[in-house]
Amino acid sequence: MIDPFDLTAGWIEEHALIPLLYRFDMMEWEDVAYGWALVAVYGVVQVFLTLAICLPLERWRPVERWPDNRAVAVDVFYTLLSRIGILPLVTFVLFYKLQVMLSGWLTDHGYVPPTLEGFFPFLLGRPVPTFLLYVIILDFSDYWRHRFSHVFRWWWALHSLHHAQRQMTFWSDDRNHLLDDIIASLWFLVVGLLIGVPPLQFPVLVLVLRFLESLSHANARVSFGWLGERLLISPRFHRAHHGILAAGERSCNYGAVLPWWDMMFGTADFGRAYVETGDPSASEALVTGSYIAQQWAGLKRFAGALVPRSVRSHDRPGAVRLVGRTRE
Amino acid sequence: MTRILAAAFLLISAAAAQAHGVAFVINSGSASVSILDMSTGAELRRIPALREPHHWALSPDGKSLIIGDSAGNQLLFLDPATGDVQRRVPCADPYQLGFSPNGKFLVVNGLARNQVDVYDVATYTLIKRFPLSSMPSHMAYAPDSSMVYVSLQGTDKLAAIDLIRMAVVWVQPTGKTPAGVLWLNGRVLVANMGEDGLSVVDPVDGHVERRVHTGRGAHQLFLSPDGHTLYVNNRVEGTTAALDPATLEIRRTYAISGGPDDISFAPNGDLWITQRFAEKVAVLDPRTGVLTHYQVGRSPHGIFLNASGE
Repeated sequence: MIDPFDLTAGWIEEHALIPLLYRFDMMEWEDVAYGWALVAVYGVVQVFLTLAICLPLERWRPVERWPDNRAVAVDVFYTLLSRIGILPLVTFVLFYKLQVMLSGWLTDHGYVPPTLEGFFPFLLGRPVPTFLLYVIILDFSDYWRHRFSHVFRWWWALHSLHHAQRQMTFWSDDRNHLLDDIIASLWFLVVGLLIGVPPLQFPVLVLVLRFLESLSHANARVSFGWLGERLLISPRFHRAHHGILAAGERSCNYGAVLPWWDMMFGTADFGRAYVETGDPSASEALVTGSYIAQQWAGLKRFAGALVPRSVRSHDRPGAVRLVGRTRE
Repeated sequence: MTRILAAAFLLISAAAAQAHGVAFVINSGSASVSILDMSTGAELRRIPALREPHHWALSPDGKSLIIGDSAGNQLLFLDPATGDVQRRVPCADPYQLGFSPNGKFLVVNGLARNQVDVYDVATYTLIKRFPLSSMPSHMAYAPDSSMVYVSLQGTDKLAAIDLIRMAVVWVQPTGKTPAGVLWLNGRVLVANMGEDGLSVVDPVDGHVERRVHTGRGAHQLFLSPDGHTLYVNNRVEGTTAALDPATLEIRRTYAISGGPDDISFAPNGDLWITQRFAEKVAVLDPRTGVLTHYQVGRSPHGIFLNASGE
């Protein structure tokens, strides 16, 4: 079966990237460039798919209407950077190569990195059940990564950038501090080593997952119903996680795709519906600043959080100071 | 009547000229191996690999087609006639692999891990690991199996390893981004992907004797089984150049789009060429220049033909 995404990436590689690499004596990067082209092609499709579905939803049933939504523009930039631009390239170059090297080193020392297909050989050649199993395991691991990012002061200082947005839309999914992204990639790397995550093996299914994650941030009154809410994370469910009363350590609904882990570990809250979003303790630069301003503000907050608590006179960085909107 | 006879003759000739047997195409991006019927191009089976298979080597006894899965850290042993999986063996980063002509050594290049491993084929135990920077990709043996030459794609060098003394004899710059390596007429030929042709290297000390133009982005090179033609795939230019092996002059150039990579030769003289960026295999009749394309998986790389199907 022809894969149009792969063929498009191949066309870009053949007609744009390789001539460019050849011109600048960088042909040793051709495989990496191909990987990036594939990620970028899927990224473009993700963006258009998300736009085509989420934008009408947000227009049709918005939770909030804003007279001025300029603050959303920077989230669009985050999305493009994260899904098409430099971030996938960095992730691919650094972490994929690192993973290959580490797993090879482990193999060499008698420890063969386990794979799901190794545990369950019948999965080989069956991409859908294999991928679904990987999703469940990765989503579980991501639940804990996300939960820890709310618990540790220094980590929350970085992650709070994601929560600072008061005008949360489907564009907000990729609004992250660079260091937070790097930590997430490292987390993924370690889990990948433990279960052998296949790189780029299931791109279409990854596309669907990324769409679901974007949808969960949409400014739309969308619920999946009593049962659906307990099977997949909806915009209603995830919005509670971004509520102003849920910033920092007291948050809920940490899951990204599946709500099961929140239900299992007592952090699920199905009661809060369409709350106002944001982090009341975040500086204005973190909320409405430019991309650079937000990254810098996040870095300063991170540095501040590294100072021992006894030295600081502030409250816990993760604690919420109730100001302004209290619709919850 | 004459027309009917002529048509019948053409049909019979075409059938006789058709290749029979099976083609194994390694789909690096799909983590699989496509098995094609060589006479029709139809995909008969698809064997799942683990993560990212690239190249292959036929075991000296001909009973196993061994495929290196670099990201999967695994060697996949297939029955070369049926494609049935014989076994899967852990191995660190097996990107490229090749048996020495005397069948004693198996050399495995770890492109991501910058290492070249030499195994004893009798026991399949590691004899020695050579850390070589960087990106060891392709290899060629001296005909007497005393030396193996490995291209170091990341550092524009070629390394010569003495398999008797188990030592690196020299590492020399030979051209930008070297890929394919071939022993030919007492010299080592290296395809330079960052240049427009080959380097002709003295196997004794590694100095470049001359450079040969083939086309931009020379990537892989193969000598036809009859020894009459040297084929070079030029990745950037999108061509396959046919050279006189004695003079290294270009006789003819064929346009092959989609990133031509590895070649395998069919008994009828056709070239089966993987097209990395097009999910296809191109079958080139070098006499007529006619191309036939067959669909395979994502990023097809290595290709092995079992023309007898046995």
